[in-house]
Amino acid sequence: MRKKFKGGLLAAAFVFVASTSAIAIPSVVSVSSAGAATQVPLNLANEQGELWSCAFNPFVPTSSPYSVGLTYETLDFVDSLQSGKVTPWLATGYAWSNSNKTLTFTIRPGVKWSDGKAFSAADVVYTFNLLKKDTALDTNAVWSVLSSVTAKGSNQVVMNFSTSAVPYFYYVAGQVPIVPEHIWKSIKNPVTYVDSAPVGTGGYVMSHCTPQNIQWTSNKSYWQKGKAVVQTVNMPAFLSNNTCNEYLATGQSQWGSQFIPNIKSYYVAKKAGNSYWFPPVANVTLFPNLKVAPLNDVAVREAISYALNRSTISTKGEYGYEPPASQDGVVSPTFSSWASSAAVSKLGTGYNPSKAKSVLEADGYKMGSNGFFSKNGKELKLSIITNGGYSDWVATEQVMAQELGKVGIDANPETPSATTFASDVYTGNYQLAYDVESGGPTPYYEMRQWLFSKNSAPEGKAAATNWERFSSPAVDTLLNSYGSTTSAATQHSIVSQLENVMVTQFPVIPVLEEVDWFQFNSKDFTGYPSASNPYAQPGLYNEPDWGYVLDNIKPVS
Amino acid sequence: MRFLVRRLGFLLVALWAALTLNFFIPRLMPGNPAESMMARFRGHVNPAALHALEVAFGIGGHQSLVTAYFEYLGNTLRGNLGISTSYFPLSVTSVILKALPWSLGLVGLSTVVGFLIGTAVGAIAAWRRGGKMDSVLPPTFIVISAFPYFWVGLLAIWLFAVTLNWFPILGGYSETAVEQWSWPFAGDVLTHAILPAFTIVITSIGGWILTMRNNMITVVAEDYVKMARAKGLKNQRILWQYAGRNAMLPSLTGFAMSLGFVISGAILVEYVFNYPGLGFMLLQAVQTEDYPLMQALFLLITVAVLLAIFVSDIVTAILDPRTRVRA
Repeated sequence: MRKKFKGGLLAAAFVFVASTSAIAIPSVVSVSSAGAATQVPLNLANEQGELWSCAFNPFVPTSSPYSVGLTYETLDFVDSLQSGKVTPWLATGYAWSNSNKTLTFTIRPGVKWSDGKAFSAADVVYTFNLLKKDTALDTNAVWSVLSSVTAKGSNQVVMNFSTSAVPYFYYVAGQVPIVPEHIWKSIKNPVTYVDSAPVGTGGYVMSHCTPQNIQWTSNKSYWQKGKAVVQTVNMPAFLSNNTCNEYLATGQSQWGSQFIPNIKSYYVAKKAGNSYWFPPVANVTLFPNLKVAPLNDVAVREAISYALNRSTISTKGEYGYEPPASQDGVVSPTFSSWASSAAVSKLGTGYNPSKAKSVLEADGYKMGSNGFFSKNGKELKLSIITNGGYSDWVATEQVMAQELGKVGIDANPETPSATTFASDVYTGNYQLAYDVESGGPTPYYEMRQWLFSKNSAPEGKAAATNWERFSSPAVDTLLNSYGSTTSAATQHSIVSQLENVMVTQFPVIPVLEEVDWFQFNSKDFTGYPSASNPYAQPGLYNEPDWGYVLDNIKPVS
Repeated sequence: MRFLVRRLGFLLVALWAALTLNFFIPRLMPGNPAESMMARFRGHVNPAALHALEVAFGIGGHQSLVTAYFEYLGNTLRGNLGISTSYFPLSVTSVILKALPWSLGLVGLSTVVGFLIGTAVGAIAAWRRGGKMDSVLPPTFIVISAFPYFWVGLLAIWLFAVTLNWFPILGGYSETAVEQWSWPFAGDVLTHAILPAFTIVITSIGGWILTMRNNMITVVAEDYVKMARAKGLKNQRILWQYAGRNAMLPSLTGFAMSLGFVISGAILVEYVFNYPGLGFMLLQAVQTEDYPLMQALFLLITVAVLLAIFVSDIVTAILDPRTRVRA
């Protein structure tokens, strides 16, 4: 992870070295193929703190970011930064029928796998049935709603769902990579298949991989003419953030997904053409455990939400990179068109310490002489946990605790290790937890992850989402109704009602907006996504987005 | 012969104990590899993947701990170490084989070099007690070995790589070099290895000097050394073949153990230098709760240390007949 904080002393020592003198990175030995020397390679800066495994299995979360999008393509590209705008990819079209329970794709003709064999609808049918056979491959759980996937005619694929499933389009069309049947059918165990030489339809072919670097070259017979024109792409493995940041700042890398402290002086000012854009995509959220007192009391949750000065938290905890979030749960500006005016006007700025106090007083809490509220002799004392491996979250957590202390809530920030934290959050063993959901192409996806009761699990059992364990039949019905409509107006109205739940019941408390980390240098390459043309998520860990971006990047001539 | 059998028996019991601990200790950690992996993604994958990962890793099955334990023993004996969860879907064996040569080469060679230099310096220092060398070298290296390793490592990076720019800062080889058997690549690997090897040698040397010097001082006072002098043998011969050979015995056991630990790489060295060896891998396996990889690495270290001690026992027995029980 890009912000992992491995051992305080060691990190401090690294900072010492980095600040004493600029770290020189060994010069990159170019291994571009013969005749391709005219174009500089595109080097990516993506610190994962690990050496590459050189596995490219597109159904395994550890290896899929390095193959899905650039080597393996999906049926459509769904843009999460433009409310789910659909661009045809391996499918040329799609249609819903049977009250949104049947989805029919028309498959693109003339597409070839990188080994020269023809791609067809049969490959699509094969891929989906492969996921059905083996749950371990179905990382998007598409078969939780699919009932059958079959071919129709020579170029159509029909998907039947057990329920109206409009939001699942994002997963079946936009997230499931299509693999070649002629290769995968002879693989004995697809779950443990390494896929060291992936054959896909995409614009890039993995040409060389060592634990220290992955290299891709453009697919010479790519079906989209004029796309995927960057000849060589390198992704070196970085074990520490500082060395990777230096590699990026000195211009050796032209595209990065790094957390860089003081980015203006450290990165932008260092080299002409260096620039960055951090589009917000989800909410980093305080999850109150609704199963334990006092957080089962809505007044306490409301008070917490109003007590947080999110601008201060953003500046002090995240250098201002992650903007303040809104209690209505709508990420702005990405999803601004979804914000309900009723919810927005109820919230005001979202920060109102006197309201926080009055809400608690109306609920029977009394301010004690020590400056903290108490009720029936019990002091309002809460612990907050967050992933101790992310230094920025740890900082944010401390600022939040200070903010809560100001209104009379005694909050104690704790920083368990990444694994303990994950386990505690999943099993509901916490009071307040600061964590993030993955979100999706509209605010609905994150709200469903937060609020859908079936996503949750009893205390002690791992819940994939809905960690606060919210349960409301009315909200479940509302969430399900979104699945049966393709009308944008109806969808907006459903999300507005969900926002109303957010600002009246305070089931979770969004604090800051999770952003895509994205730095780029425009000297050698152009065509990156931008605020004015947000055609895909630019972070190098987003699949299939970064491969889609790679298809669209062009060298500066 | 009885000596050999007893040592072998001890080796087997120690191995079994190590295997058992190895199985249970990682399972006392909170959480499981699937949860730990989800935590690493920070919301970048669909939460539904948690279930898929648990299925893939075989978590939440109905297998009891006892069954899992015996299955683990059986698999380990057959050499089947399982599949790494952090490098999924690679097998543990292939992951380890990728990193092993780097650790063996770097840490192995520098341990041997450190031992040889340290022992020689210790012997000579004791021989010329109070001389110039004795008053400079041992204290210097003992002070250096007392520094925290990462501090020495970072200082070396700052001085030789950043300021003087003599060596590359990190990695086992240039980031985009192609791994192959060729002179340019070998040179590339060598220039990357010099700095980490140098730091290992200068930080480990102090211990060897101290042990050897102390042993040597006692040995030099022995009657047989006086006898050798009286016979008028050359100083060099007395130093190495009379005194040195006997003084080295205790060091040898220590050396064997440190050779065993070569397998574990030098975690800090590899971390500081981004060196792609087993030490870094071990660190990562612990961070990501990669049980199979962790177990395999701990097992490898245990076996290597036990074997090294076993061999050093045998060697000591050959060098010094007194250690053979009722020989």
